[in-house]
Amino acid sequence: MVTRIFKTVGACLGSVLALTLMLGLTTGMAQAKEIKGERYVPTIWVDPDGCEHWVMDDGWEGYMTPHVTRDGIPVCRRGNTCGVMAADQLFTTDQSYITPAGQARLQEFFRSATATAFVIVGHTDSRASDAYNMGLSQRRATSVAKVARSVGANVVDVRGYGERAPIAPNTTAAGMAKNRRVEILCIR
Amino acid sequence: MKLVKGIALVAAAAALAGCIDAPKKDKTVDNWIDNKDLSQLRAGIWVDPTGCDQWIIDDGAEGYLSARLDKYGKPVCSGVAPPNTAIGPYKSGSSIPDPV
Repeated sequence: MVTRIFKTVGACLGSVLALTLMLGLTTGMAQAKEIKGERYVPTIWVDPDGCEHWVMDDGWEGYMTPHVTRDGIPVCRRGNTCGVMAADQLFTTDQSYITPAGQARLQEFFRSATATAFVIVGHTDSRASDAYNMGLSQRRATSVAKVARSVGANVVDVRGYGERAPIAPNTTAAGMAKNRRVEILCIR
Repeated sequence: MKLVKGIALVAAAAALAGCIDAPKKDKTVDNWIDNKDLSQLRAGIWVDPTGCDQWIIDDGAEGYLSARLDKYGKPVCSGVAPPNTAIGPYKSGSSIPDPV
């Protein structure tokens, strides 16, 4: 009698176990959607500007594409920034005309810089509205570009990012001062 | 054409001898005669029809092309050469002569 009960329970447990396994397997299969593909693992090539690219060699063919973040920003070990001008040394608050001392500094910079082309990029801190800062950074970058061109520099792009690309937190006065800047990219 | 046939023959022989992994599993190295890691590629600039710079590398059998972007992700259009022109040492990374 006891052995019979034992046997029944045992058989029942056995079938439950089997069923669980089967269910587990089917759900497992449902989850792992089969993807037919070949393994392509790239390596990194660093371009002369210092930015990374994914590169693969498939025997005969070669493939390459820039390594960017999901925001579309290139991953660079160093960039081609060759000058960061503190805005406080070039402009007075809210203004985009360059002080005489600032003009002299910029002229000196562009006369001695060796690059085939320059990109001028303006930035502000986060005071005032985003739209205002976009305009102010563009006006300031344009002023710098004017000085650069006056000494024969080849300026190929002038942009303003307003407060959207800070390099320091805007929570302190020192941070805000760092963010007020005009960057010069040297294209060699 | 003769050269291409010759290369194909050599490749087939090398594959038979087990010298190369075919289909190639490790895509990060160039196992060919000019054996090297791909990080050593030498690039030039190709100016695309828009006037923007692209990195161009002619590495013997393989050719690579990738956008030149500034740190904000915008294309670099330096005007270093007219559109549809390639300049720089893009053919110098490999010792293999390139007939094309």
